[in-house]
Amino acid sequence: MSDGATAQFDDRVDVDPAISSMEALGLLWRSFKLLRGVPGLFASKFALALLGIFPPLLLPWVGKVIVDQVLLQRPFGGTEVRFPPFMTPFLNYVAGMSPIEIMGSIVAIYAVLLLIFGLRAGGTGAGGLTQGQDAATQSELALSAGGSRSGGLVGLVETMINIRLTQTIANRLRTLLFRRLSHLPMTTLDDNRIGDSVYRVMYDTPQVPQICFNLSLTPFFAILGAMISLYLMQYSYGQVAPELVWIAAALVPVAIVVTVPFSSLARRLNQSSRAAGAATTNALEESMENIAAVQSLGGMTLEKERFRVRSVESFKRHRHAVLFTQAMVVAGILCTAGAGIYVATLVTDRVIAGEMTPGDYSVLFGLYLSVGGTALAIGMYWINLQSNVAAVRRVFFFVDYPVEDVRSADLAAPASVKRGIRFTDVSYQYPDRSTGGRKVLSDINLKLSIGELVAIVGPTGAGKTTLAYLLPAFLRPSSGQVYFDDQNIVDVPVNAIRDLVTYVFQEHVLLSASIRANLLLANPVAIEDELRAACATAGVLAFIDSLPDGLDTVIGRSGDTLSVGQQQRLCIARGLVRNTPVIVLDEPTAALDPETENALVSALHNAAAEKLVLVIAHRLSTVRRADRIIFIADGRIVETGDHASMMQREDSPYRRFVTLQSSASEARRLPLPFMCLMTPSPMQST
Amino acid sequence: MSEAAASVAQTLSITKIASLAWRAWPYYRPQLKHLITYLLINATSGALMLGGGLVANDLFNNKILVGEPLQPLQATLLFLDDGYVNVAAAPVEGSDASETGMTDAQRGTVRNRLFVWGGIAVLLSAALFSLAWYYMVWIYQMINQDLRVAMMERAESLSLRFHDQSRTGDAIYRVYQDSATITNVLQQLVITPLRALVWMLWGVILLAFFSPWLGLLCLVTTLPIIILFRYYSPKIRRSAEWARQTNSDLTSRIQEALAAIRVVKANRAESQVIDQFNNDSRAALDAAYDLRMNIVALAMGVLIIAMGAVLCAEYLMAGWTISESATYLGGVISVVGFATWNLGAYRSAAGTIAQNARQGADVAQLWGGAQDLIVGLERAYYLLDQEPEVTEAQDARPFPSTIESVTWRDVAFRYNDRPVLESINLTAARGSVTAVVGATGSGKSTLMSLLLRLYDPDHGDISINGTPLRQLELPSLRSNVAIALQQNMLFTMTVAKNIAYASSNPTRAQIEAAAVVSCADEFIQQMPLGYDTELGERGSKLSSGQRQRLSIARAILRDTPVLILDEPTASLDAETEHRVLRNIAEWGRDRIVFVITHRLSTIRNANQIAFLQDGRIEELGAHDALMALEGGGYRHFVDAEIVSDSPGE
Repeated sequence: MSDGATAQFDDRVDVDPAISSMEALGLLWRSFKLLRGVPGLFASKFALALLGIFPPLLLPWVGKVIVDQVLLQRPFGGTEVRFPPFMTPFLNYVAGMSPIEIMGSIVAIYAVLLLIFGLRAGGTGAGGLTQGQDAATQSELALSAGGSRSGGLVGLVETMINIRLTQTIANRLRTLLFRRLSHLPMTTLDDNRIGDSVYRVMYDTPQVPQICFNLSLTPFFAILGAMISLYLMQYSYGQVAPELVWIAAALVPVAIVVTVPFSSLARRLNQSSRAAGAATTNALEESMENIAAVQSLGGMTLEKERFRVRSVESFKRHRHAVLFTQAMVVAGILCTAGAGIYVATLVTDRVIAGEMTPGDYSVLFGLYLSVGGTALAIGMYWINLQSNVAAVRRVFFFVDYPVEDVRSADLAAPASVKRGIRFTDVSYQYPDRSTGGRKVLSDINLKLSIGELVAIVGPTGAGKTTLAYLLPAFLRPSSGQVYFDDQNIVDVPVNAIRDLVTYVFQEHVLLSASIRANLLLANPVAIEDELRAACATAGVLAFIDSLPDGLDTVIGRSGDTLSVGQQQRLCIARGLVRNTPVIVLDEPTAALDPETENALVSALHNAAAEKLVLVIAHRLSTVRRADRIIFIADGRIVETGDHASMMQREDSPYRRFVTLQSSASEARRLPLPFMCLMTPSPMQST
Repeated sequence: MSEAAASVAQTLSITKIASLAWRAWPYYRPQLKHLITYLLINATSGALMLGGGLVANDLFNNKILVGEPLQPLQATLLFLDDGYVNVAAAPVEGSDASETGMTDAQRGTVRNRLFVWGGIAVLLSAALFSLAWYYMVWIYQMINQDLRVAMMERAESLSLRFHDQSRTGDAIYRVYQDSATITNVLQQLVITPLRALVWMLWGVILLAFFSPWLGLLCLVTTLPIIILFRYYSPKIRRSAEWARQTNSDLTSRIQEALAAIRVVKANRAESQVIDQFNNDSRAALDAAYDLRMNIVALAMGVLIIAMGAVLCAEYLMAGWTISESATYLGGVISVVGFATWNLGAYRSAAGTIAQNARQGADVAQLWGGAQDLIVGLERAYYLLDQEPEVTEAQDARPFPSTIESVTWRDVAFRYNDRPVLESINLTAARGSVTAVVGATGSGKSTLMSLLLRLYDPDHGDISINGTPLRQLELPSLRSNVAIALQQNMLFTMTVAKNIAYASSNPTRAQIEAAAVVSCADEFIQQMPLGYDTELGERGSKLSSGQRQRLSIARAILRDTPVLILDEPTASLDAETEHRVLRNIAEWGRDRIVFVITHRLSTIRNANQIAFLQDGRIEELGAHDALMALEGGGYRHFVDAEIVSDSPGE
C-alpha cells in the first residue's frame, strides 16, 4: 500500500507544505501579532514574571554567606570580592551577629520568601499530566500550558494568569480557523478531508501560544536574567577574573550558530509528523462515521489495517522529529559543559591560590550556570520555534484560503425574488485539475418564474446538479450572468442569496440530534405549527407522530432510526421549513415508492403557488406534471417546454428519452431472470 | 455520563488502580525485553550518578576548595599516590591550625583529574541519555499503537446500536488521547513513584546517619502532606473526567459540523454551528483550567510544607556544623570524610533533604497526573469492554461452498422498541431473483440487514442451506454476501480501490470487468486518471448515477453467491438502467439475488416478489399470481406505478 509514502499524505488542498525561511519569519510575525488581543493578561503575566526574577538573585550571595560566614565561620571581608549593592541592607543587619544568629535570620528571610515567591522551591506548573508519544496528544497539553518560575503566592497567581493567557490565544485562533473551514467553497469541500480539519483545529492550533511566548517573554527574561548575571559577575569578580564574564557572554552566539543551520530540517520533520497524524485521523474519522456501510460491505479488517499502517507511520515520523530535537539538545549541552569545565578550572585555580573563597565558587558557578542555561535555551529556541512554525503554517493555510464571500447581507442585496430568475449565456467549468477543466455547462439561457414548478431532466452526468448549484451560489458562473428579478447576483453576498434560495441535497445528511433540532437548523425561529406543516407537506408527519417521542426523537448516527425514504422526506421537510421564495430539490423522489412520490409532487405543486420550485429528477412520474421541463444533455439545454407539447413533437429528444423509459416499463417477459433488451439501440419506441 | 464521573471519583482504591494497571499488561508484554533493558540502563546510570555525586561532592568541596587530604579510595579513583592521603604538615588556610592539608599543586592536580572524569561523564551521559530517550519513545509508541489498534478493531465490530448512540468525535478522542495514557502507566503508576519513594527512603536513611533528628523531621512532615493528598485526589479525578469529556465533545462537534457542512451552508446555519463550537470550546478550556489548578494547588501545598521542613533542618545543621558535632558516618571514612559536621557534610545533607522535598513535590504532581491517567485509562478500556452484539457461536462453521437456499423463518425485529418486522417467512433458492417491494419504511432494507447480520432478529432465525446464521463464521458470512447500498457509500480512495473494497486481491482486469458489467467503465475511462483517479471526500466529485454504478461494480466484483441490490437504479436514467440490469442478468445466473426496488420493469421479471407492508410480507409470489389477487396491495402498487410511468395523461 502506498498510503503514507509521500510527505503530503492525504492532502489534496494543502499540497505544498514546504516553508522557506522568509515564510517562517512571516508566520512567526503573524503569530506574534495575536498578542494584541490579550493585552491585560499579557501585561499581568509579564509583570509577575519580572517580579519573580529578583528574589532568586539573592540566593547565590546568601549561599556564600552561609558557606563562608556561618559554616566556615570566617569573618566578613576576607577577599577582594565585593557583595553587590542589594546585599547591603542584609549585611548591615547581620553585622556583628554570631554565626548561628546569622543563620537564624537567613532562615526567617527564606521562610517569608518561600511563602510569597516559593524561593528555592522551584517553579509552578501542572506537570505530571499524561503526555503521549505523538504530536496530537502533546498538543492538547500545550493548549493549557502555563506556569511560573516562582512558587508560592506569586507563582500561583502567575500560573493562573498564564494558563488563561495561553488558552485565550489558542482559542481565538482555533475559532477563527473553524469559522474559515465552515465557509470553504463547495469545490474545495470535495477535496478537503474532515479528519484533517479536525486535526488542524484541535492539534495544530495549540502550538501558537508557544510562539507568542517564545517571541516575547522567553527571550526577554532569558536575556534579562543573563544580563543581570553578567553584571553581577562583572561587579563582584570583574577585577578578579574578567575573562569569566566574556566566556559566559560568548556562549549565547555559539549556541545559536550551532543550531540555526538545521532550521529547515526541523520544519520538515515536524510538518511531516503532523501530516501523518492528520492522515491517521482521516482514516479513523471516515471509518467511524460510515460504520454502517463498512460493516455492510465487510470492510472491518480493511479499515483496521488502513488505520494501523497510518498510525505506525505517524508514530515513526514523530520519533524522527524527537530524535532530531534530542541531537540539538546534546550539541547544546556539550557546548555549555565544555565551557563550564573551563570556567570551573579558572575559578578553582583562584580558590586554591586564595584569591577567592569556596563561597565565591558557589556564587560564581551559580551565575555561570544561569547564563549557560540561558545560552542553551536561546540556541534551542530557534529550533523549537521551527516545530511550532510547522504546525502554525497548517493553521494559517486555511485561515488564508479564499472562502466564500461572507459579508453580511447589506442594502445592495435583494430582499426577495418577486418575478423570477434568469440565466444569460451562462457557462461553468470546474476550476481545478482533476476534471481537466472540462466545461460542464455551456451557453445556458433560461428564464424561471415564481409560481412555476420546473423540472430539470437529462441523462446522468449531463450537468443538472451543476446548473442547480448556481442558484444558491454554491458555484459562480465562469461566464455569463444570473439575475434575480433584474439584479445581477454576481456582487451579492452568498448569505443574502441563500436567504432566498433553499437547496435540498440528494444525499440525506441529518444531524444526530432530535428531529426538531434538524428542522430548526434550517429556521431557528420556526414555531411548532410551521414545523408540523412542513412535515405534512413532505409526507413524513404521520410517521413522526407514530414515534413515541414525536418531533423530539433523536436520530441515531448510523441512521437506522429512519429508513432512507423517511430520511429523504425529512430533508425535504427541512427545506420547506425555511420558507424561501426559491426552493431546489435534487432527486427528491429517488427512494420513494410511487404513491408517496405522487403525494409529494402534488404537495410541491401546491407549494409552488407562491414559489419557484425547481426539481431535478430522472423519473418520468416526478417530471410529468411539472409546469415546465428543461431537458439537458452534455451541459446544454436541448429542449424546454411542458410535457404534453414536447411529447407531440416528432423528433423531440425529450420524447425519445421518455418513451425509452416507458417502453422499459412495459417490457416483454423473457426467460432470463432479468429483463434483457434484444437490440442494444435505445431508439426503440412503441 | 455524570453518574460515571461520580462513580469514578468515589471508588478509587489501591486495588482498583492495580487492576487498571494490570489490564495494561497485555500491551506491555510484547515489549518486555525492551522495557527491561531500558529500565536497567536507567537504574544503573541512576545509581552511578548517585554514588558518583556523593564522591564528587566531597572531593570538590572539601578537598579542592578547602584543601583537606583525600580519602584512600578517592586517591585510587583518581590514580594518585599515597602522598595525597598522608600529607605533609601544611596547614589548611583559614581553619584550625592543627589540620594538615594538600599543597596548592596537589589540589590543582586533584581538580584536573576530577574534571577529566567529569568531562567524560558529561559526554557519556549526554549520549546515553539521548539514546535512552529515543529508545523509551519507541517502546511507548509501540505499546500505544497496540492499544489503538485493539480499540479500533473493537469499535469496528461493535453493533450499530452502539454506534447510533455514540459520536464519531468521541471515538477519535478515545483512540488518540485516552489511549495515550497507557504509555504512562508503567512510568507514572509504577516506576517513578517507586523510584521516588526509594530515593526518598534512601535519603531519610542517609539523613538519619547524619543525625536521627533529621530522619524524624522527615517522617513528621509526611503527616500534613498525606492529609493534603486525601483532600485533593477526588477533586482532581472529577476535574480530569470532566476535562476529557468536554474535549471529546468538542472534537465531536467539529467533526459533525464539518460532515454536515453542505447542509449547514445551504441553510445559512453557519452562525448556529459556530456558536455551538464556541460553547463547547469554552467548556473544554474551563475544564482544563480547573484540572491544572487543582494539581498546582496540591503540589504547591506539599512543597511549602516540605520546604518548611528543609529550612528547619538547615538551621539545625548549621548549628551542628558550627559546633562540629559528630555524625554517624564515621564508619565510611575511607570513602567520604563526613565523620563530623563540615562543609561537605552540610552540603550533602542539605542537598539530600532539599532533594527529598522536591521529590515529594514531584510525587504530588505525579499523583495529580496519575488521577488523570486513571480516568483516561478507564475511558480507553470502556471501548474494549463493549461486547459486540452480534457474535458467532463457539463451533461456527465457514460459509458453505455451494449455496442452495436462504430462508427467513418466523423472523421478528424491533428497533428501539419499535416493531420493524414481524412474522417474516421467506425462502430464496439458487438461480432465483427475489424482488422486495413496499412503501418506504415498510422494512425492506432491514430485512436485508438481518441477512448481513448487522443485527440479530429478536425472534426466529435466518439460515443458509439450513444452517442458522449464528452458526456461521461472521467474517465468512460477510465475505459471501455482497450488497450495493442504497446510499452509494464511497470512500476517499481511488476508483479502483473503491471498487475493490473488501474484495480479496482482485486483479486490475477483474476490477475493470466488474465496472463494465455495471456500465461504469465508460465514464471511468473519461476521468483524468481513469481508474486511478482519487475521489473526493465521501465520493463527492461524481454524479449520483456514477456513484451508483461504482457501488454496483463493487458488489459485483466480490463475486459472492448471494447478492443484494438496494435500490440499484434509483439514480439512473432509463437507458443506463437498461444496460446495467441486462448485464447483471447474465452475471447473476447461478446466484441468489435480492433486489429492493420500485421499478416495475425489474420487479415484473423476478422469480418471486415479496410485498411488504408495515413490516409483514403481505403477499408473496410471482408477478402474474399477485396481480390476480383482487384488491391486493401489490396490484394497487403496480397500478400506481404504471399510471405514473406512462407518457400519456
